Amino acid sequence: MMKGGFEVVHATLDMIQPHHEPLWDFASSVAFPTSSIPIRQTVENRCVNLERNELSEWVEQVTKQLIDDLPPEPETRPDHSSSLQDADTSTMICDDSFGAPLLPGDFSRPRKTIRRSFLDGNGEELQWSNELGTENKLTRVDEQGLSLITLLLECAVAISVDNLGEAHRMLLELTQMASPYAASCAERVVAYFAKAMSSRVINSWLGICSPLINYKTVHCSFQAFNNVSPFIKFAHFTSNQAILEAFHRRDRVHIIDLDIMQGLQWPALFHILATRIEGAPHVRMTGMGSSMELLVETGKQLSNFAKRLGMSFEFHPIAKKFGEIDISMIQLRRGETLAVHWLQHSLYDATGPDWKTLRLFEQLAPRVITLVEQDLSHGGVFLDRFVGSLHYYSTMFDSLGAYLLADDPNRHRIEHCLLYREINNILAIGGPARSGEDKFKHWRSELARSNCFVQLPMSSNSMAQAQLILNMFPPAHGYSLVQGDGTLKLGWKDTSLFTASAWTSSHAFR
Amino acid sequence: MLNELASPYGDCDQKLASYFLQALFCKATESGQRCYKTLTSVAEKSHSFDSARKLILKFQEVSPWTTFGHVAANGALLEALDGEPKLHIIDISNTLCTQWPTLLEALATRNDDTPHLKLTVVVTANIVRSVMKEISQRMEKFARLMGVPFEFNVISGLNRLGELTKEALGVVEDEAVAINCIGALRRLAVEERGGVIQMFQSLGPKVVTVVEEEADFSSTRYDFVRCFEECLRFYTLYFEMLDESFAPTSNEKLMLERECSRSIVRVLACDDELEDYSSTGGECERRERGSQWSDRLKEVFSPIGFSDDVVDDVKALLKRYRAGWALAQPHQDETGLYLTWKEEAVVWASAWKP
Repeated sequence: MMKGGFEVVHATLDMIQPHHEPLWDFASSVAFPTSSIPIRQTVENRCVNLERNELSEWVEQVTKQLIDDLPPEPETRPDHSSSLQDADTSTMICDDSFGAPLLPGDFSRPRKTIRRSFLDGNGEELQWSNELGTENKLTRVDEQGLSLITLLLECAVAISVDNLGEAHRMLLELTQMASPYAASCAERVVAYFAKAMSSRVINSWLGICSPLINYKTVHCSFQAFNNVSPFIKFAHFTSNQAILEAFHRRDRVHIIDLDIMQGLQWPALFHILATRIEGAPHVRMTGMGSSMELLVETGKQLSNFAKRLGMSFEFHPIAKKFGEIDISMIQLRRGETLAVHWLQHSLYDATGPDWKTLRLFEQLAPRVITLVEQDLSHGGVFLDRFVGSLHYYSTMFDSLGAYLLADDPNRHRIEHCLLYREINNILAIGGPARSGEDKFKHWRSELARSNCFVQLPMSSNSMAQAQLILNMFPPAHGYSLVQGDGTLKLGWKDTSLFTASAWTSSHAFR
Repeated sequence: MLNELASPYGDCDQKLASYFLQALFCKATESGQRCYKTLTSVAEKSHSFDSARKLILKFQEVSPWTTFGHVAANGALLEALDGEPKLHIIDISNTLCTQWPTLLEALATRNDDTPHLKLTVVVTANIVRSVMKEISQRMEKFARLMGVPFEFNVISGLNRLGELTKEALGVVEDEAVAINCIGALRRLAVEERGGVIQMFQSLGPKVVTVVEEEADFSSTRYDFVRCFEECLRFYTLYFEMLDESFAPTSNEKLMLERECSRSIVRVLACDDELEDYSSTGGECERRERGSQWSDRLKEVFSPIGFSDDVVDDVKALLKRYRAGWALAQPHQDETGLYLTWKEEAVVWASAWKP
């Protein structure tokens, strides 16, 4: 439980200041053109190992078949292959072998396809283990894993057609067979999905369903996750870079963090702001969250930190959801440059109704909105959410499994307290907001569609930040960093998990 | 609300909440029998000799919950059967014979004349049935190693323990009979218990050893709330004990917890009518406290106290485990020995003679 003051993370890294000569000191095999910022640039990263025996790819193949077998639905087809879809607009690495969907012939016998490729991949897999130099085996989706996932999918279909009795029976089986401590990622994923669906069945039967979160546990696991996985830091540092650029030569700045939690993101930014050549700005921060007690604590920590840096700082806690407040609560001041930051997650509904959130964005007209989205849709019917999240979290579990041992208590805490909580939320009745209200599929698209906002492409400096972070996290060759369409995407293998983007108000010149 | 916080993979409270909620759900939807059947059949399918053995051995390694009963029972058995040339031990338990190697060793090393041992093991749980072949081979091998003349029988055709008959046991005239019941009597339907104890008496045993978990799901069986409370009390103790004995991400611990979850469903969500047994399958699981069993057993048997030697053996055993375990000896009216965990009595061991 880390409750102490903040340490300056990456103090040795120079956060890149805009318009300065690049004094980059990063050891990477990436060559950057320093003159201009190309929009569509494919980053060559070290992941060229076309492992076919990864859980997430299996899930994709099996779910594709399942969806094909279902009678056609009136709604749109599930958007679970967001990574593949984006292949149209941005170039993903290894996309020519993977991005293309399987031939129709392969769908009829997915098992055979999988087994063949599993065997093919065998040699490479051993090589990989040696490379890692530890006892960690790459996750292998074995017979057991396949049968569990198949049963899980059948169960999801049962739930989607309201056949709860049958679903319950299957869930009883699944919960007895799958262990969350297993060596195989497939089994772990199944264990948690089965439990989430059990909850849902019970909730359906009870007729009521209200989310209950233990925030302290969540924050604690969030920190643990931050330590072993680059996704959070990726979100923080790329956003900080965009904010820094927006604050260039401004001396009164205001940051609104829509879900500040413990404010892990901000010390690094404060450090840079405090040591700017043009001097530190006066910083005001509005932190939003669920518990006033936790917000006040976070505010105290940040204030202490700012004081140590000699930076003038004000903190305003608002224990409400962003989409439920009025603009008057934010206390805008003249002459201030406003940045709004939002790191999206599925742990709980942080912002309330989406349309209200968008409207407030428009009213605030900030200089920059930094948005980090999970490449996962919260909207749609149950089966859509199920398929999408199965793919997403399988990938997430794969990424943890490649780095941590099966009996690592930290891994268990992250999977159980963080990822499972998200899975449970997404699959719950009414979706994460529990209101059945439709959530936007992609905030990026919404912002793009709105007349009030213009996208700010993520700069090459942000990209450099991301690359530096990846260098810190083994196995670096598992993570995939892609720049395209003005956004930065971080994922595992060829599935994008988080997308960072930045936006500015078309009318804002605060 | 509970549903949101409960999880079979979280901390103790979350696990208990999850399993009890499951049982309540089964009860409320009147699907207890069906759920129980599904749970047990899945469990049986995924068990193998290796997994069952690994589980039991690991549990014995980290906790004296089962070994306490073994040591006490073996001590009483050896003392009561001392000097007898032909022994017939009837073992009614699902401990996969982990109790017997120590006994065999004692028989081999104690006297000059090693007695002949016939071991008849009665098993009903399907999980155990499938592994008995492997076990019998190992036992025979071990006995040969120890130089103990040995005969091993398995009675496994029973659906329920209540079907056990005197004839099936094959007791012969000149044998000294001992009956060893570990966690067995609770598997009998409540109404059958008296009858089976009578049947034991008719076998003319020299000693009967009974080991049971200290909980009362039997007298409360018509009072759901009280039964629920007692279940919660007992399983909270048990789960906390498991949590402190095993590593946090232990699969063995998970297996044991799941076993409990099945028992909880059985006790809280299934009806107990005798006719239902054939459809439910499995056993009763309604435990009784030591004092209750004593009342039953006293009708045909009289208690034997455990000798100082045996008590010392048990104390030595407990020293090998983590702190928290202790031995409680009976007060005036009580019989047997109690294993206590954090000063709560959890397991009861006793010995009886006709």
